[in-house]
Amino acid sequence: MNYIGKPLARREDVRFLTGRGNFVDDVKLANTAWIAFLRSPHAHARIRGIDSTAAAGMPGVLRVLTAADWKAAGLGELTCVHPMPFSDGRPMNEVLRPCFAADRVNHVGDVVAAVVAEDRYGALDALDAIEVDYEVLPAVSITARALDAGVPVVHERFQSNLVNEVVRGNKAAADAAFAAAAHVTELTVSSNRLAGNALEPRAYLADYNRATGQSTLWATTQMPHLLRRWICRYTLFMPENKLRVIAPDVGGGFGVKGHYAVEVATVVWAAKLLGRPVKWTCTRSELMMSDAQARDHYTRAKMAFSKTGEILAMQVETLASFGAYCSNFGPSIPGNSYPQTITGLYLTPHLHLRVRGVYTHTVPIDAYRGSGRPEATLVNERLMENGAREMGIDVVEIRRRNLIPHERFPYKTPVGRIYDSANPPLMLEKLVALSNYARLRTEQARRRKAGELVGIGLAAFLDKSGTGPSATLATKGGLHGGYESAIVRAHSDGKVTVFSGSHSHGQGHDTAFCQVAADRLGLPLEDISLVQGDTDSVPFGNGTWGSRSLSVGGIAIYKAADRVIDKAKIIAAHMLECAAPDLEYAQGQFTVAGTNRGVTFCQVAEAAHHGANCPTGPDFEPGLEATVFYDPPDTNDPSAMHLTLVSIDPTTWRVQVEAYYTLDDCGLVVNPLIVEGQVHGGLAQGIGQAMMEKVSYDADSGQLLTGTFMDYAMPRAADMPPLESDFICTLAPSNPLGVKGGSETGTIGPPAAIGNAIVDALWHLGVRHVDPPYTPHAVWKAVAGK
Amino acid sequence: MSARVLHPVEMTVNGVTIRAQVETRQALAEFLRANAGLTGTHIGCDTSQCGACTVHVDGVGLKSCTLFAVQANGAAVTTIEGVAPQGAMHPMQQAFQEHHALQCGFCTPGMIMSALDLVRRNPEPTDDEIRQALEGNICRCTGYYNIVKAIAAGARAMRAPAGK
Repeated sequence: MNYIGKPLARREDVRFLTGRGNFVDDVKLANTAWIAFLRSPHAHARIRGIDSTAAAGMPGVLRVLTAADWKAAGLGELTCVHPMPFSDGRPMNEVLRPCFAADRVNHVGDVVAAVVAEDRYGALDALDAIEVDYEVLPAVSITARALDAGVPVVHERFQSNLVNEVVRGNKAAADAAFAAAAHVTELTVSSNRLAGNALEPRAYLADYNRATGQSTLWATTQMPHLLRRWICRYTLFMPENKLRVIAPDVGGGFGVKGHYAVEVATVVWAAKLLGRPVKWTCTRSELMMSDAQARDHYTRAKMAFSKTGEILAMQVETLASFGAYCSNFGPSIPGNSYPQTITGLYLTPHLHLRVRGVYTHTVPIDAYRGSGRPEATLVNERLMENGAREMGIDVVEIRRRNLIPHERFPYKTPVGRIYDSANPPLMLEKLVALSNYARLRTEQARRRKAGELVGIGLAAFLDKSGTGPSATLATKGGLHGGYESAIVRAHSDGKVTVFSGSHSHGQGHDTAFCQVAADRLGLPLEDISLVQGDTDSVPFGNGTWGSRSLSVGGIAIYKAADRVIDKAKIIAAHMLECAAPDLEYAQGQFTVAGTNRGVTFCQVAEAAHHGANCPTGPDFEPGLEATVFYDPPDTNDPSAMHLTLVSIDPTTWRVQVEAYYTLDDCGLVVNPLIVEGQVHGGLAQGIGQAMMEKVSYDADSGQLLTGTFMDYAMPRAADMPPLESDFICTLAPSNPLGVKGGSETGTIGPPAAIGNAIVDALWHLGVRHVDPPYTPHAVWKAVAGK
Repeated sequence: MSARVLHPVEMTVNGVTIRAQVETRQALAEFLRANAGLTGTHIGCDTSQCGACTVHVDGVGLKSCTLFAVQANGAAVTTIEGVAPQGAMHPMQQAFQEHHALQCGFCTPGMIMSALDLVRRNPEPTDDEIRQALEGNICRCTGYYNIVKAIAAGARAMRAPAGK
């Protein structure tokens, strides 16, 4: 069999295409009650009192819950599983997101109360009848202002909005390099706040069995085991074996469905209180004020160059919004991902970086596809191209002078991260060829002469994926593992079920994971099925995040499959009365080398399950399966480069992305169809950040202005530019397939590449920078000097 | 708080007559999911922007979250479950699989229903016409490239003579 590398159509598609998917909201249990949440309409207010008497008396209302009930029950809060201390060792100023706001609300959408009723309409009607007496307080919602003197403070006990301060690199060395530089480029850059907006809104259905004390939760989660652990350990204080978490079909996650959401523990608790199923399905407008949001950095940075354009050093000063509370992976994004990737694919010898996390009266910030790399790449690549233009060096040529040569890998950066593998110079030359860069420049010159505003921009960058091993993750603050689990179980007829601790919510595990298993087992793909997303059947897994599915979860399957074949070989040798090393195995057939004597995998599986015709002795056990917990020895480093051509309408200042080119290196590709799909999808999100998406809050009141898809612009089919993509392959050295993460690069490059192209188009008009999203208004402001 | 009033509705969904008592505020999408038990029609937003709920009402593509169930009283509705016989796939569904035009699959039913509505109006759409026709459907996973390819291929397959 040779499935790895083939662009196989996905096996999971048929159920989705025919309307037979099974999403959480599709799961129906008899006698289900509905829960609805009352949310703060204010960014910052004191709660003087809550009167729920009228609501509690409405027909069909079963229960009204508030912070007082929560406190009386002695329950906990959400958790932060990746705290980042100050670089001098002090713990961060941590405030966890509360399940119910007690005396103060700190963002629009903070949960104040919940109603459980016989049906959804009844619950929603009752919410309207709850009277909350708010004393509205001044709010701060703008990240750049969070540490200004006199701004409202989110959590008074810290006397400021500072959460933590992460310092990386060597200030003295960077200062010295700047002092000796031939040229210094400086910029102030903001990375716009985003909403992940998976198309399926979050949903939870919890059941409780009074006879057994067992709870079951169907959840839109990317990581069912971690969700179970968080609920049990930090919030509801219950044993993990009393909660089963099932993540059925999940309609997109992008990181956001990995977070510990504010409503989920309450749904589980409510089911327990009532002894019946309780369901909650989020609406989009609720989601916009409750799902963790992303990005939102404010950065001043500078880059020092030699006379010939080599980067000598970089200095970065960033304010990173945390929102109103520490969300569970939140601190790691500006604290780890951002500094580790900010020098990108360049030889930058010195860096000094300071990131200060800040609270604002906004929805908490957490991981969303790209997580820290889009913010880092925007800073690095905007500085790079402004520096090139100021020095009169072509933007491709300056990159040739700065890219890390292939032979320097593994490469240690000034923050200490070791990049495992890449070939940036090859990638650049392939991108130049793919885009026909010289022709693009000629065409640009011709169109400029004709009065058009046309620009070309690039972005070169590092992704990072497969976060691990667990011990290394722990040194960076992680309170969760970096490993993944798998069981490969042969049944008595020789068919196989793979159980994975990873979870697919669009990534195509049922196809790609089974391609790996089929190749390792030497069996047809159709003989293999996948089970995922159920804590009662799958061993403890860390789930899907950080582009880790294939390079960690896939390798766990690879190793478990190999162990199954190793054991099968021992049984086959017994059956054939030969020594195991004398056996050859291919395509489901064990053969004694040099003979035509053999047994099939199916016969071995039959014998293994009968248990009779098997080796004897204390070391042998019947059955044919293997469980693997694979902790990767290292992370892996995908890389990519983007190039784009834009034109700008000089009347409306609308930016048209005319062409987009991508080059990716994600190591070995198991399924090209799926990987290209990941590039496309990432790109739509990256172009969304570049061109239109922004969560906006009123600067004074902190009121959320982008509360629905009416106000929060999402990329649609006609927004996507013509695209040409290609790949190079440098194998990841840390895993036997050489695979790397292949799903996030599309989100990383576009804000930088398109921003660079816009500045290229408008340089002669004096424009040096535009912050994303590059709306007509933003471009016009930059041109008009507003 | 006035008492909740129920109205009788009856409609034909995928050829089957469904009768129910519904509240005025119940959207057709909710009726299809809750009363008809057809959960292939999805609700992705509450402002008629995303198109995950697209169905055909009396043969015309409509967002079923914009229509109250009472407004669809007497109508013939086709949902994703009804575009091909059970166990089979419509050429448009096949094209979506072949061209990897779905990832998480949540927007997919609405995309297919919009695609079929487009082909009904325009049997030979250009790529540009497909992109314009999808203005009411949001996909967060695919970047639309493969969806456009699939709809063009699906339309071609639908034009092909039977038996091919």
